Amino acid sequence: MTTTLSSRHPGVLATSPAVEVSLAEPRGRLSLRARGDLTPFARVLGFALPERIGQRAEEHDIRAIRLGPDEWTLNTPMAAVQRLLEAFAAIYPDHPHSLVDISGREVSLVIEGAQASDLLSIGCARDVEAIPAGEGRRTMFDGTTVVLWKDAADSYRLDIWNSFAPHVLDLLKTGCAELAAEARQA
Amino acid sequence: MLLIHCPYCEETLPEVEFVHAGQAHIARPDLPSSQTDEEWEAYLFIRTNEKGIHAERWRHVHGCGRFFNALRHTVTDQFLTTYKAGEPRPELPVEGGDQK
Amino acid sequence: MSQFRVAGRGRINSGRRVRFTFDGKEYSGLEGDTIASALLANGVHLVGRSFKYHRPRGILSAGSEEPNAIVGTSRGAGRYEPNTRATVQEIWKGLTVTSQNKYPSLKFDIGAVNDAAYMLFSAGFYYKTFMWPKAFWHKVYEPFIRAAAGMGVSPSEPDPDTYASRYLHCDLLVVGSGPAGLAAARVGAEAGLRVVLVDENAEAGGTLLSEPQAQINGQQAWDWLAAELAGLKAKGVRIMTRTTAIGYYHQNMVGLCEKLTDHLDVLPKDMPRERLWRVRAKRVVLAQGALEKPLVFHGNDRPGVMLAGAAQTYLNRYGVKAGHRPVVLTSHDSAWYAAFDLEDAGAKVAAIADTRPAVRGDLIAEAGKRGIPVLLSHTATTTSGRLRISSITLAVVKDGKTGPETRYACDCLLMSGGWTPSLHLFSHTQGKLAWDENQNTFLPGFTQENCGIAGAGRGLWGIEAALADGLERGREAAAALGRSVDAAPVRVENDRTGTGVSHTELPTRRDAGKNKSFVDFQNDVTAKDLRLAVKEGMRSIEHVKRYTTNGMATDQGKLSNINGLNIAAEALGKEAPKVGLTTFRPPYTPTTFGTFCGYHRGSHFEVTRKTNIDSWAEENGAVFEPVGQWRRAWYFPKAGEDMDAAVLRECRATRAGVGIFDASTLGKIEVVGPDAAEFMNRMYTNPWTKLMPGRCRYGLLLGEDGHIRDDGVIGRMAQDRFHVTTTTGGAARVLNMMEDYLQTEWPDLQVWLTSTTEQWSTIALNGPDAAKLLAPLVEGVTLTEEAFPHMSCVECTVAGMPARLFRVSFTGEIGFEVNVPAYLGRALWDVLWEVGQPLGITAYGTETMHVLRAEKGYIIVGQDTDGTVTPGDAGLSWAVGTKKRDFVGMRGMARPDLVAPGRKQLVGLLTEDRSRLEEGAQIVFDPNQPIPMTMAGHVTSSYHSDAVGRPIALALVAGGHERMGETVYIPMPDRTIAAQITSTVFVDPENARLKI
Repeated sequence: MTTTLSSRHPGVLATSPAVEVSLAEPRGRLSLRARGDLTPFARVLGFALPERIGQRAEEHDIRAIRLGPDEWTLNTPMAAVQRLLEAFAAIYPDHPHSLVDISGREVSLVIEGAQASDLLSIGCARDVEAIPAGEGRRTMFDGTTVVLWKDAADSYRLDIWNSFAPHVLDLLKTGCAELAAEARQA
Repeated sequence: MLLIHCPYCEETLPEVEFVHAGQAHIARPDLPSSQTDEEWEAYLFIRTNEKGIHAERWRHVHGCGRFFNALRHTVTDQFLTTYKAGEPRPELPVEGGDQK
Repeated sequence: MSQFRVAGRGRINSGRRVRFTFDGKEYSGLEGDTIASALLANGVHLVGRSFKYHRPRGILSAGSEEPNAIVGTSRGAGRYEPNTRATVQEIWKGLTVTSQNKYPSLKFDIGAVNDAAYMLFSAGFYYKTFMWPKAFWHKVYEPFIRAAAGMGVSPSEPDPDTYASRYLHCDLLVVGSGPAGLAAARVGAEAGLRVVLVDENAEAGGTLLSEPQAQINGQQAWDWLAAELAGLKAKGVRIMTRTTAIGYYHQNMVGLCEKLTDHLDVLPKDMPRERLWRVRAKRVVLAQGALEKPLVFHGNDRPGVMLAGAAQTYLNRYGVKAGHRPVVLTSHDSAWYAAFDLEDAGAKVAAIADTRPAVRGDLIAEAGKRGIPVLLSHTATTTSGRLRISSITLAVVKDGKTGPETRYACDCLLMSGGWTPSLHLFSHTQGKLAWDENQNTFLPGFTQENCGIAGAGRGLWGIEAALADGLERGREAAAALGRSVDAAPVRVENDRTGTGVSHTELPTRRDAGKNKSFVDFQNDVTAKDLRLAVKEGMRSIEHVKRYTTNGMATDQGKLSNINGLNIAAEALGKEAPKVGLTTFRPPYTPTTFGTFCGYHRGSHFEVTRKTNIDSWAEENGAVFEPVGQWRRAWYFPKAGEDMDAAVLRECRATRAGVGIFDASTLGKIEVVGPDAAEFMNRMYTNPWTKLMPGRCRYGLLLGEDGHIRDDGVIGRMAQDRFHVTTTTGGAARVLNMMEDYLQTEWPDLQVWLTSTTEQWSTIALNGPDAAKLLAPLVEGVTLTEEAFPHMSCVECTVAGMPARLFRVSFTGEIGFEVNVPAYLGRALWDVLWEVGQPLGITAYGTETMHVLRAEKGYIIVGQDTDGTVTPGDAGLSWAVGTKKRDFVGMRGMARPDLVAPGRKQLVGLLTEDRSRLEEGAQIVFDPNQPIPMTMAGHVTSSYHSDAVGRPIALALVAGGHERMGETVYIPMPDRTIAAQITSTVFVDPENARLKI
């Protein structure tokens, strides 16, 4: 099994005829926790935070996904992290919240192709096909908590804590080989 | 293998995303140090072990992270309803009635 | 062509020849044959011996309900599988089949003496025989039972195959692809539902495969079937064959086992052998059909005795005659058709014996047309033939009396006792069964699942009825999901409808007490055994089952349960529905462990978490140990070093110079918000209000019961921001506990928790040279005693990397913990390693960490505590803010038993003979007391200490804090060790070494 995965070495990790798994480029990641009036945060971000759990919003390459009643993850360019930390700190006294840098906590795997949903079905109990494209969910994949971003019907991203990523990747590789074997058989 | 409705996500989801968290509606006393030994024993240890409709806590730990409450029939394992933490136990139209 | 293969019959006649061996002899069959059909085509009926009496047995059925034809199959090393049903397993080129339960050979078997001694092996045999004398148990009985137990031989090599699993979501799952299932799937698909249709057979079609005579909507049955399947596929129905629904679980989750490669000559690369599907269906239609019941009479188990429906399947689907001269014995119309088909295929049916006094005229006429002798009101009293049936003795029954017997020569006997709906999956839903008086059987009743039962599975008979019912169930499912659809009824000609009656043991003129009339063929349970169980006091059907083992074989009572129930009910003098059926449990058919394991074996068995510094440890020869899900570097042996030598060197180097340690696995939680300090006050025993930003404190976490749950150093990074650390194993648990209080008890607090365990790589530097090593790399703080005293924390840069720097010590030496974003962890480690070379920097693992902390008396929660230890017991009262209004566990600590004298308290131990104690060893005060001794505590930690110059130990001892200097005793198997109670702090009690 792969020892560790570092987003500093992105690239394709596994393929089969109809799906490909790759490691995403490094991104800034911030965990935002807040409740009550959200407009001050919208002003800082330049767009309104999504309102329903699982919904996403995006502007200027800053993507927000709502994961809980008072929880969002902001996925940003690495360079934007410091600026956002400072901008949020500035409104903290009037609008208390929690913003924690988790850029180092996780890596993202990209799963793309016609059989992307089939590949995910080897480890995810959810009906991933039923998740609307453009949304996302925190869920389980093979015993591991992941945040699943559905970018299109055939394109997903999985945010995975560093130490769980090799385990997840190992299964995705097995799944790719299995799908390839099925394709040969058919 | 159950399906559980999360009242925060408003979705009915596989059990693997949840963990059970014991009997519901047992509030921690505001000032435990004012409790007698008997009161504290009741808070810590005494549970109902219901055969029938049981109010219990679950946490959507691999989803939105919220604790919530559920009414589940302990014989059939059927969830009758789920509701947010802090809300009172809902009245069921058929509670105590025929559950088959 | 063999003499039993019939030209022009069956669906596999054009298939290629496939060679395989059975007990070493080579046979040939056709592609698509099961082992059973191929053996029958070669005239082989004898395929195994029974489990208890080792009686010769043949092929009884043509499906997964088979109790007799159980064989071992192999395709080479590691790929031997025992207890395979020959009636299901397809043959492939090179397949090796072996019979079971025989020694030395199938035709001559020594164990068959059990058969002659059958009186000894009656119901409850094990319970009665192995009761006394007690002394016989170990030497005689247990070895005997162990040798005799189990069917087949377990594979002894690792399984080289792989197994897979998937989740599947659909609107409608249809189990069974016979006429009812096909119809339900059709309607579902036309209504626009996502439909999945599964069947355990290699081919979809069910009964239609065995009834080519039927005309459906004017088309020949097989032509109609082919068109129908093509239509379903075109409508997007997922049709899965060789796929068994093994279990029906809550809320319409159905487990499927799909066999992918067992029928192939060559195993495709990367293709799993089997796949477990966890299907979640909005609606389920069970269309599993019915199972034919055997008739119960003396000698009903000889090879050559077969269910009539099975013979019809072998003929029509595989083109194989079960024999040249069959006798048909039945209580149901269906077996008459088997007789007609066999006669038409060239067999000479010796007689049709029906237990009923009157039978439909058209059947009598058809028999007459073919010249088949018909015997009504007949019973069978015995059979003959050692390795295969050669005759059956029949007698007329008149006014309840059995008349004179007549022997009929035959080479096979086709029997039918009627049909039982397959209730297994329905029963998995906790569904209630309803007794049907007319059919004398149970039918599915109420279930709480969204599930419909179609066709023969609910007692309907005939293709047209099944099709109509399937359409109706499909329409019902669609309507429940808000879809309506019209489906035209289907017309069937040449449909073989029929009825029958049910029997217990057939009447006989012989001594029923000596009859071997088998009910459960695989477990050798006879009608007599069931009656005996009732006579000996078993009243509940569950007790009868366990006492006799009826229905406990690998076929799970598919053929035996209803017959067993009827016989037990008769013996009890009760009606069958009052006795009830035993519970059917998953899996429906035997399922491999591989299928249940799926991907979780070998290196993928469980998550193995590794830090971003793990790669360095691996490159540098670390020995690892598992800590929760993590693998951690245990120690770093140099060439020639064993564990003790490596740990001693690491300890010495750290106390003399500087040691480096990967502490990244420590749990970390960021606590942020205006109420952060208040929240910390409520969770932890310690007071936090006055802790200044930039300082840290040891935190102790209790449960409400007052017992220690976790601990760790907590830094106040800013007024409203705490960096909490937890034990490695406690990270998720502590966060869950904190969230619980925050969400449900104190939702008014303005504070939020974020797991940062994996945000940071944490590198600990310890030793007198630690500051010397680190200082030049740090920007933002000066590492002096004044500017950055012990228990300080700061955000700064280390080697140019953004860092959170803590001055803490878990060794008693000057210590720092550097946290950098995880992706920089390895880079920082490499820098520190490089820069530390002139100082002789030494990497140490978890064992050295354990030794160094024990020398200072620092506890490890979960090792020195066990969930019953209070702060007072652990000597940590100083960490409890007794003046606080409240914290979790405060009230618990005052419980009467937690403040009572004589509690087990943490102390140090030094052995008098300077030996190292075993962790977990029990402690007594008086070694000379009689056994069983009164235990006074146990050793929790024990190491050799280089710093102390002898082994040290920590122990929980009753009243330990009051017993300083006393001697306690540790009885071991070979000797008793004396040890003196000491303080838990063995090294530098003044903490002088912490100062820079």
